[in-house]
Formats: sequence, C-alpha cells, structure tokens
Amino acid sequence: MLHYDAVVIGAGTAGLVAGARLAEGGARVCVVAKGVGSTHLAPGTIDVLGYAPDRVASPAAALPEFMTARADHPYALLGPDAVAESLGWLKARVEAGPLPGYRYAGELDRNLLLPSAIGALRPSALVPETMAGGDAALPGRVAVVGSRSLRDFHASLCAGNLRRAGIEARGLEIDIDVERADENALGLARRFDDAGWRAAFAARLAIKLQADERVGLPAMLGARDPHGAWSDLEQRLGRRVFEIPTLPPSVPGMRLFEILRSALRRAGGRLVIGAEVVDVERSGQAIAAVSTRAGGHDVRYAAPWFVLAAGGFASGAIELDSHWVTHERVLGLPLRGLPAPGEPRFVAEYLAEQPMARVGVAVDGELRAEGAENVMVVGAALPGAVPWSEASGEGIALASGSRAAELVLARAGGTPAGAAA
Amino acid sequence: MTTLSTDVLVIGGGATGAGVAWDAALRGFDVVLVDRGDLAEGTSGRFHGLVHSGGRYAVKDPKAAEECIAENRILRRIAADCIEDIGGFFVTTPWDDPAYADRFKDGCQATGVDCEEIDPALSLREEPRLNPDISRVFRVPDANIDVWKTVWAMAHGAQDRGARVLPYHAAVAFRRDGDRVTGARVRGARTGEEIDVEARVTVNASGAWAGRVADLAGIEGVRVLPGRGIMIAMNHRLVNTCVNRCQMPTDGDILVPIRTVCVIGTTDEHTGDPDDHTVRESEVDAMLDDGEKLVPGFRQARALRVWTGVRPLFEDAKASDTSTRDVTRAHALLDHDQRDGVTGFVTITGGKLTTFRLMAEETMNAVCRQLGEHRPCTTQTEPLPGSEQREHYRLGERLERKEEHLSGAQLICECEMVTRGKLEDAIRRRATTNLDDIRRLLRLGMGPCQGGFCIYRATGVLHGLDGLSAEQADAALQHFLQERWKGIWPILYGDQLRQARLDDWIFQGVLGVAHTPSSDGDRSAA
Ligand SMILES: Cc1cc2nc3c(=O)[nH]c(=O)nc-3n(C[C@H](O)[C@H](O)[C@H](O)COP(=O)(O)OP(=O)(O)OC[C@H]3O[C@@H](n4cnc5c(N)ncnc54)[C@H](O)[C@@H]3O)c2cc1C
Ligand SMILES: Cc1cc2nc3c(=O)[nH]c(=O)nc-3n(C[C@H](O)[C@H](O)[C@H](O)COP(=O)(O)OP(=O)(O)OC[C@H]3O[C@@H](n4cnc5c(N)ncnc54)[C@H](O)[C@@H]3O)c2cc1C
Repeated sequence: MLHYDAVVIGAGTAGLVAGARLAEGGARVCVVAKGVGSTHLAPGTIDVLGYAPDRVASPAAALPEFMTARADHPYALLGPDAVAESLGWLKARVEAGPLPGYRYAGELDRNLLLPSAIGALRPSALVPETMAGGDAALPGRVAVVGSRSLRDFHASLCAGNLRRAGIEARGLEIDIDVERADENALGLARRFDDAGWRAAFAARLAIKLQADERVGLPAMLGARDPHGAWSDLEQRLGRRVFEIPTLPPSVPGMRLFEILRSALRRAGGRLVIGAEVVDVERSGQAIAAVSTRAGGHDVRYAAPWFVLAAGGFASGAIELDSHWVTHERVLGLPLRGLPAPGEPRFVAEYLAEQPMARVGVAVDGELRAEGAENVMVVGAALPGAVPWSEASGEGIALASGSRAAELVLARAGGTPAGAAA
Repeated sequence: MTTLSTDVLVIGGGATGAGVAWDAALRGFDVVLVDRGDLAEGTSGRFHGLVHSGGRYAVKDPKAAEECIAENRILRRIAADCIEDIGGFFVTTPWDDPAYADRFKDGCQATGVDCEEIDPALSLREEPRLNPDISRVFRVPDANIDVWKTVWAMAHGAQDRGARVLPYHAAVAFRRDGDRVTGARVRGARTGEEIDVEARVTVNASGAWAGRVADLAGIEGVRVLPGRGIMIAMNHRLVNTCVNRCQMPTDGDILVPIRTVCVIGTTDEHTGDPDDHTVRESEVDAMLDDGEKLVPGFRQARALRVWTGVRPLFEDAKASDTSTRDVTRAHALLDHDQRDGVTGFVTITGGKLTTFRLMAEETMNAVCRQLGEHRPCTTQTEPLPGSEQREHYRLGERLERKEEHLSGAQLICECEMVTRGKLEDAIRRRATTNLDDIRRLLRLGMGPCQGGFCIYRATGVLHGLDGLSAEQADAALQHFLQERWKGIWPILYGDQLRQARLDDWIFQGVLGVAHTPSSDGDRSAA
C-alpha cells in the first residue's frame, strides 16, 4: 500500500494541472492513469468559452453573466477569478517548461479567432504562440500550405472557407517526401525538428509566396523544439507563420502534456501511466484507497484526498450500457444531468443539443463528489457543460484542476499525516 | 425540356429495376433507368444482406423456397464477385420448438434446398461463440451479397450496352396516349430539370412505392403495404456463418456476417409510409436480446449502425373475390395490358432480393410479349461485369491487395481500407458531391469509427477535385454527418457512444463544422 496526501486519477489536462498544483502547494501527490488523456488528441489551445451560444468576443466579459444564467455549469462553481488565475499559472508553467522559448499567447479579455483545418474560425482565449498568427483580427492575406502527401490536412478547403469568412486566403500545395503514405502530423513534426530539412522546406515554399502573405501550416512544426522550428521558419520566410490544428494525433497537444508533466515532476509529484483504477476501498462516506492494475499486478494507493480527473464518456470513465443504464465506472459515484426515464437520450438532428451531453459526476458547490466527501471532481467528469459546442473543454479542465488543488490544500491544512505545507 | 426516346424505361433502381435494365440491355433493348434517389437507396440498400438458401421458407412457403435455392445457385455463378460464400446454419435454440427441426428437414428435402444435419459440437467448433445450448444444427448454402456492388455492376453492364442510368431522377408524371402508356416525365432532384422520356414500354419497379407510381399512371388498385424491419450491424463478425433460428420465420432470428460486420435482424411491422424510418428503443432491445440468444455476450459487442427497410407486400385491391385478396410475400408481376387494358406498362413488386433476377426475367418476358418480339433471356448465364472470373469475394481481399504496397497508397478510410486513388476515381465516375453516394459505393466511413477520421479527408479530396466550392464541400460534410447520425443515435451505448463523443470532439471541437461561414453567419469575422 502506498500513502500519499492526494491521489489524482486521470492524466488529461485536468488531472495533470490538479496534480502539479497540489505538488507545488507541498502535498505528496501521485497521478495515476489508465493512459494519456485527450491532450494527445485536442488542439492544445485553451478554449475558455467560445459560444454562449453566440460567438463570445471576450470570455472575461461574458463569463459573469454566463455563470449566473447557468448555475449548473462548471464555471458557475469555479467563478471568474479561478479561470483568470489558472490561465496565468499555465502561462508561467509554459515559460518555465521543457520546451525552450515556447510560449502561450492570449488573454481572457479577447478570444482569438483561429482557422480550423476546414477553415472555420475557432474562438480561443489562450493559444500556443505558434498558432497566434492565424488570428482573424490580424491584417493581411493568408497562404494556407498543405501537401498531397498529408491526408489529414486540406489547404485549399481551409482557404476556401476563410475566404467565405472575409479573409483573403489561398491554398498552396507543396511536395513533401514522406516515408509512409499514411504519415500523420507527428511524423512530420519530427522532420520539422531537423534544421536542414526545415531550411530546404522553407526554400521550396518561399518561391511560391506573395509579398504580404502570412503562412498557415498544419500543426506539425516541431515536437522537440517547436519554438526553434517555428521562429526559424518565420525568419527564413520573412513573415508570420502559424500552425493550424487538425485531426489527431495532435502535436501541440502533446507539447502541452509535456509541459504539464514536467511541472508535476519538478514540484515532486509522481505520474504513473498504464495504471487503471480497478477497485475502490470505502470507509463510510469517504474513499480510503484505490487499487490500480498495471502489467498484471495490483497496487493500492491510500490518501486522505482523491481527485477524480478521469474524464467523461470520451475517456470511458462514464458509460451508458446496453440496457441504457449510465455508470461512473472508476469510483461508482452518482451522476447528474441524465435525461429523465422515458425522455430521449439523443435527438435526430446531429448538431442540436443532445440530452445526454451534460451528464457528469454529481458534485456540491465546491467540486466535492456526492456520496464521497474526500473526492474532488474536475475536468470532463464534471456535469453541466457541452464543451465541444461551447468551446470550453480545456478552460474547464484547467480552471477546475486548479481550483480543486486549492480547495484540497486549504482543507488539508489541518490534517496531521503529510499535511500540505 | 430535354427529351429522350427509348425502348424500355425502368422506374426504380433497386435490385429489381437494375436487374430489369440489365436483362433488357442483354436482350438488345435500349434502356433508360431512373431512380428518385441513388441506386439501391430504397429497400435494396436497407436489407439484411442474405442470399437465402430457401431454408427459411421450406416449411411456410415451399414455392418461395424453390425459387430461392434456384436463384441462389444462379447468383453464385453470375454475381460471384458480389457474393461471399459464408454458408448457413439453422440452429434449434432452447427457445425454439424442438419439433420444428424435423419439419424443417422434410421441407428442405421436398423443396430441393441442400440441407445437412450436423453435430452441434461440430458447429460449435466452427463457430465458437454460438450458444452452446443449441440442440440441433442444419447446414445450408446461405451466402451474403454486396447489393451496391451488384446493382452498380448491372447498371454499368447496361450502360456498356448503351443504357442511360439516371440516379436522382424521380418519375413525376406519366405520358399517356389513350390506353397506352408512352413513357414518363422525370425530374432531377439536384437540378430540378425535367426530362421527357418517351418509351415503348415503361416498367414500374419501384418496390414499396409501386402503388404510388401506378397511381401516377392512372392505374387503380395496386396496393403495396410497406412492412418495416430494423437491422443492427455489430462492429465485427461474431460469427462467420449465417446463423438462422430453426423455427417458423419470426423477428430477430437471423445473424448475417457481411464484410467486416455482422447484422442482426429483423422485424416486420406494417407502416403507412414507406419513407418512415423510425427506430424504437423497444425494437433495438428486442434485437439485442435476440442476438444474445444466438451468441451469448452479444450485448457486450459494439453496435455500429441501425437502419430500417420496407418490404413491398403486394395486395391486389382489384381482385374481386375477397378470398384471393391475399397479401403475398412472393413477387407480383402485373401486366397492365391484361389486368387493366393499358398497354406499354408493367409493374413488378414484392419478392425478395434473392429472387431479383427471376423477377427481372419474368418482367422482360412480359415486356417482350407486349411488344410482340421474342428475345430470349440470358441473365442466367451471363456473368455481371466484374464477376467473369467466377471467384467469390473473400473477407480479407482488400487487405491482401493493400498489403502489397501499404507504403505506396494513401489510405483515406482505414476501417474499410479505401485509398485516395479509389476515392478520386469514384468521385469522378459518379460526378457526385454526395459523400453518402461514395459511402455506398466504397463503404467509406462504414467501419467502427463511422467516418470520424475519413470524412474530413474525403471532404478535402472532394473539394480538391473539379473545383468544388468550399460551400458545397461544407454542405457535403454536414449532410454526411447528419445521415450518419440517423443510423447511430438510436443505438448509442458502450464503446460506440465513446466513439461518438470522440467524433463530436473532432467535428465540432477541432474542425468547428457547426461554424463554417454559412452555418452561423460568421462572414464578417475578420
Ligand atoms: C479529439 C479531441 C478534441 C478536443 N478538442 C478540444 C478543443 O478544440 N477545445 C477544447 O477546449 N477541448 C477540446 N477537447 C477536450 C479537452 O481535451 C478535454 O475536455 C479536457 O482535456 C478535459 O480533459 P480531462 O483531463 O478532464 O479528461 P481526459 O483528457 O479525458 O483524461 C482522462 C484521464 O483519465 C484516465 N482514466 C479514465 N478512466 C480511468 C480509470 N479507470 N483509471 C485510471 N485512469 C483513468 C484516462 O486514461 C485519462 O488519462 C478535445 C478532446 C478530444 C478527445
Ligand atoms: C428488413 C428487410 C430485410 C430484408 N432482408 C432480405 C434478405 O436478407 N434477403 C433477401 O433476399 N431479401 C430481403 N429483403 C427483401 C428485399 O430487400 C426486397 O424485396 C428487395 O430489396 C426489393 O427490391 P426492389 O428493387 O424491388 O425495391 P427497392 O430496392 O425498394 O427499389 C425501388 C426503388 O424505386 C425508387 N422509386 C420510388 N418511387 C420512385 C419514383 N417516383 N421515381 C423513380 N424511382 C422511384 C426507390 O427510390 C427505390 O430505390 C428484406 C427486406 C426488408 C424490408
């Protein structure tokens, strides 16, 4: 049996943030997770609030009203200050992180509008600097650059939709030799880490560009040293260059994972991936320990506090079974936001709001799970949001992870064993 | 208005209509084939996938059993490339009347359906996931058939002989000259343009819609009662043999492995509207329970997609004697010259997919009779284009071909192994902007991820070819997402719900498809 001050279950944005901040606050922390979270799939932008339901220009301005109108939403539990504070924290961790020179740009005051791979404009509050040059508010024309060898990015479609949105844009194709026909962004990101390859690429691209164009490329400008790769390209091309996120796997998302993992480790926290929670030991209204299974053997983790950051339906932490019963599968906690019996779970129009969308683990006003007084719930496990249509997933994950850490540290202040400093 | 002139106009591009067009073209007639939607978008594209051995009807309907086994043998020859020889079992489960098994055996013998009783232990060795409590097992020559491949093979074969094939063209009015039907006016769904098709004979092969089409021609009393059935595809082949319950035909009693999935079905419920595709939760539950009886653990497998089809059950309201006013499952050929004194018009409806060739043959015989020309039918021996080698399709064929040059060809849809080259060919050949047409042709997006990854790619490819506008590409993508959702939401549970959530994140989160410029008026964003 291993003893910690806090055990975090799940290694997505929410779990890593909660773990890092607990550790920074002096707690002995272990983050256990079945696998990596959606960082490896998501664009790596911190979308705080993009639609409510109209497009949000300034999350800072929109949040107070949104929180009042949607008392059941995670943001209503967190408050605007927690959101702003957590963005500041993340920016600082990116700066101090393992990727030299890499930064996040943007403020809560104004959403940037960044092109998606289809050329729709995505509102985002805080984004990798390597993407910021795509902001629709910037002047000038855009050349979207793709390659026939990359099946996951279609430059002329992206440019076509940007034009429809009023941005002067065109699509360009450039030959890239790939080793495999199914090369994805990760494979190409490794090439962009190579200075020689990059120089040759820039030379071939430069002759195709017009004077006042900035350049949009699929998000693959370097895995190891993205700042180096990106600024080198900007220099060689003599213009702004920006990344456009596309289908998973996500290179910028993996960078975010590396940054958060390093923040956790530097503060002395532990991360165990490949450890699925398979059993729970209860003690009255609290969880005493969880068991994980990895490589055929079980390890028990005991702690006065647990943070449930295991995600929702997408990660498999919440499941609807074939008898139409919904379960929280990690700790067996009660859920909230389920359609009433006999009510539809889904509706026929795809883009309409689906009744099952807001399901999550039932919590009180301070993120505590109903029926388990020492469990804090964070991220996609929380009820009340439709993050893919609000563009709020990473914002909720970051702010709730931060807030949970703060609440645990405050409450643990008085506990004897391994109390947080 | 454009005008066309032809020998035979065929209304309805399901298996029957395409079969009539192929038969007519082989007999040397000039043909125009129209469908209001894509070919095989009606019942033929929404069926269970089975070329019946005849066993299902051996007790209940011996004539149907005889037709099925005869056609089964012919189809294996002429449509070899579209058919996978999966074979079939009829199994007596604890829920089936044990006495039926002997009647079944006798019925098969009487109707000529090849049927061999085997030791249940042997069947379990072949199909380890089958319910171990089955008591008797009979082996029959069931097969599955790729209907889109079949229908397009016939359409292309007819085109090679001069036929004109017009999907997305609905018959909207008939041309009449006194007691003669002289063709019909068809309207293009995409362009709205009307074409006047003058024909010596018009064939109504519109399946469950045949009553409506006959009404348009001013023919009374052709009543087709649509019988709706649901089917659910599970994400892999839980069995490799078609498994039928050995009992009187009823709901949820067949599990058909086809391509990379297996399909449980079906139900039969009268509905007023052949375009009614509602799926009820109780029906889904019933199918999953029935699946569980054949393959324990069925509910743990992932349900990929659900669809419904409507059987055309013909009732002749004109038959004066009420005792013969029988709703029949057999096919009905109405020679309107004999029935109504109207020449130049024939209706063919009812039947089964298994017997489409026979239906087409009888239809063209009637057409020849009306025209007073004797031209023999050759569809029994002439292989469909692509089936000349007479080799059956095998699962794994695509993989085998791809493996030779995996690094050379870009795969757009990994689940169904569709390469970029194939996709580009199909888009050019079909001259379509409808990704759902491509799905039917190539099985694009039909695998476990239901298009999560390939649909953005395919949209990009579609946009890149022949200068489609971004607006059209967005519309194609959204249309596909909506069509796919139709077949998914009623069965979302377990891993498939997890997949759907991931797809929501890809389409709505990463790509922002709900916010392309047209969809929310973001036009002045810059
Ligand atoms: C394809 C994709 C695209 C996205 N795009 C965007 C976007 O554009 N904008 C945006 O804001 N957000 C986006 N997101 C969402 C965003 O990434 C998440 O909302 C956010 O990261 C919340 O994540 P989380 O940390 O709560 O959970 P997750 O990232 O889902 O992590 C869950 C963690 O829990 C672990 N886990 C699950 N069950 C167990 C168990 N039994 N035992 C141990 N561990 C377990 C998992 O292995 C994983 O580590 C996207 C997500 C996906 C999947
Ligand atoms: C649930 C279910 C499962 C089945 N399973 C099997 C099976 O496993 N094996 C088997 O052998 N049989 C099976 N059948 C039966 C078989 O599917 C049908 O008998 C067969 O597909 C009918 O083909 P069709 O060409 O006559 O009709 P359809 O395929 O319905 O073709 C008629 C066409 O006419 C078109 N049309 C309608 N109105 C117009 C108009 N005004 N202008 C132009 N076109 C028009 C429609 O769009 C349609 O494409 C099943 C049926 C159902 C309902």
